[in-house]
Amino acid sequence: MRELTILAKYPFLQDTRQFIKENGPSIDELLYNPPYERARIIGIERLDNALKHRDVGSRSLASESDCIMEILSYPLARMVAVCIGDPYFKKRYALGEASHMYKQLLNESTSFLLSIAKELDVTVQYNTEKNTIKIFFKNYLRNAPTRYKEWKIVNRGIRNGFLSVSHKDLARILLESLRKRINKELVTRKCDSNVYDLFSSDIKRFQYTLATQQKKMEATPVGKISVEKLPPCMTEVLAAIQSGENVPHMGRFSLVAFLSSLKLSTAEILKLFSTAPDYQEDKTKYQVEHITGASSSTEYKCPGCEKMRTYGICPVDKMDDLCKKIRHPLSYYNNKWKQEKQKP
Amino acid sequence: MRTGNSVQKSLEFLKNTFQTYYASNKVKLPERFGRREFAFVLFGGKGMVRHLGFDKSELLQEFLSERGAQHAYYSSAYYQYPTAPKMVEKNWLGAELIFDLDSDHLPNAEQMGYVESLLAVKKEFIKLIDDFLLGDFGFKEKYMELYFSGGRGYHCHVKDPAILDLDSNERREIVDYITGRDLQDSLIFHEQATGRKRYGGHSFTSGKSLKMPTPDQDGWKGRISRGIIDLVYEIKKSDNPQKRLEEYGVSVRDAERLVAELSEERMRRIQDGMLDQSKTIRKFFLNSALRKTAVALTAGETDEPVTCDVKRLIRLPSSLHGKTGLKVVKINIDELKEFNPLRDAVVLPEDPVRIALQKSVNIQMNNQHFHLENSDQEVPSYLAVFLIGRKQAILL
Ligand code: SF4
Repeated sequence: MRELTILAKYPFLQDTRQFIKENGPSIDELLYNPPYERARIIGIERLDNALKHRDVGSRSLASESDCIMEILSYPLARMVAVCIGDPYFKKRYALGEASHMYKQLLNESTSFLLSIAKELDVTVQYNTEKNTIKIFFKNYLRNAPTRYKEWKIVNRGIRNGFLSVSHKDLARILLESLRKRINKELVTRKCDSNVYDLFSSDIKRFQYTLATQQKKMEATPVGKISVEKLPPCMTEVLAAIQSGENVPHMGRFSLVAFLSSLKLSTAEILKLFSTAPDYQEDKTKYQVEHITGASSSTEYKCPGCEKMRTYGICPVDKMDDLCKKIRHPLSYYNNKWKQEKQKP
Repeated sequence: MRTGNSVQKSLEFLKNTFQTYYASNKVKLPERFGRREFAFVLFGGKGMVRHLGFDKSELLQEFLSERGAQHAYYSSAYYQYPTAPKMVEKNWLGAELIFDLDSDHLPNAEQMGYVESLLAVKKEFIKLIDDFLLGDFGFKEKYMELYFSGGRGYHCHVKDPAILDLDSNERREIVDYITGRDLQDSLIFHEQATGRKRYGGHSFTSGKSLKMPTPDQDGWKGRISRGIIDLVYEIKKSDNPQKRLEEYGVSVRDAERLVAELSEERMRRIQDGMLDQSKTIRKFFLNSALRKTAVALTAGETDEPVTCDVKRLIRLPSSLHGKTGLKVVKINIDELKEFNPLRDAVVLPEDPVRIALQKSVNIQMNNQHFHLENSDQEVPSYLAVFLIGRKQAILL
């Protein structure tokens, strides 16, 4: 069994779960007994931090009781996240836990990193003599942000199905893997009515914040464009970018080219991208300017529906009636405007 | 003269030959065939019949021999409901990784004849199999099935359980790797200081040299390095190195300089990873090495994803190709180099048939030479089907 502080720092571990099972309170005790009030407060704090800062935050782990409260706050936070119900919030929270782990992993030993990889079903090979880490390409494909050129396999070494990665790279890959895992778990769980009743005021507060955020996003026209007229494909890509998902290059490319055709400036486009978890201003700016033609001689055009479909960016199950009539996302948008004008 | 009637007759002949073939030759079914979608182009039919499913192999066999399908396909994906008419309703469960190399995708395919273009595709195919799939990605031989497409190319089906659930973006990343797309030259070449000088207590770098990767490095670094070394030797060994370079598109001036500079000593330095050349020459080396070592999977500009479509249809192994009558035969990896489609994929009978040729034909098929004038000829059925299918002849 690992040390208590490790369990507290990495509460998603199997060992932590085991620890709670063996030494922890029952669900009822956790929810209602006064000694666990602190764990309940930290649980909500995790959620608040995840929403606001994309990181569930650190607290002092000096005493044993600090550690125990921290450990117990994790299942509580998850239960409440499930009851809040909003898929965007679940993603946000999963990202908050995963980014928190990432930051801590940067300071851990390689052998610790490897043990976390194992726990997250990421297959790695470690060569002690050469101190090299290699990762199985499937795990890499699934979790590395390959939308950035330096992460593309073509710009890395691969042999026999394994790619060499640095300590930091591996931590980044584990971030994505943990994010996916937590999100998947949250999506499949059901809200416990006792949890809902106990935390109902917090749950409502979160729901209210999310609703106002949502409204604000819909109401603020992005530059001069109106969000509700975007075709399904663009809505999806935009939402995915904003909630910090790994959107493939082609998706980002299409969105930028699309927005730029609607006369959005680089600054306006950047603002849309700035909520992504690994948002890097200079890099994104460079990419955007390249596509919009501000820094290159060509101004790229958004691909048509057919090409979007071959690249898997057209969400076929979300296509509506208008989609069936048009052949380019831009005509979708223009058609929406026309439809509105025709309305009495 | 030839009327629409003989065109009709030719089609009937193809159909009958295919029907007879399927009546006595079993088609090998893909794994999980009950979960696959099947699709066919029928002789004389319009378009493709899709969304069919077969839960017994006899039913498929029956379909083929009764309808005499001109082209037979199945989905590389397997679904919960393979016969649902809408793609979304099928519920995708997974798909093999398919590589489809067709001579249409080669840069200068139009100028090549059938045999020549197939040889060129095979070269690309061998590169794909040996260097990339077995080498870099480390797929096991037991998970790889190689096929001649029956037409103008080769297919590889990768069945490794690890890749069945890859989505199309993940597949795209594999294709980008194999085609060398987005390779960044700054990651390949970098400058390195060769010496230091000291002035008044400060040290400065003096002289820079361009470092390129060494041949033993992983992935593209090693590949580019090996490509450049091969290229240098190829140029050096040729009778007229300068002309050779100009053929590669290097300007006369640069070619002159490069040839002058390619001393034995220089060549050794290149092998050790030192490429001290001007920017244009460096670019030339990179691009040529890239072209030489990447797999030409896509047709120049069009860039259609080859492998990324997780729902694509693929020619059914051991069926007949409707434009050639050749069989989609499985090839063992160690027999790939020797594989000759016009010998190893010929399965139709010898029975003589009379055809009218549009132009003279010179072809070696089934170990026989045929020199045929453009007149009426009697040829074995397999050749008749091949020529009629390729619209070079009609039935008499
Ligand atoms: S049909 Fe065209 S506009 Fe509609 S979602 Fe697909 S790509 Fe977008």
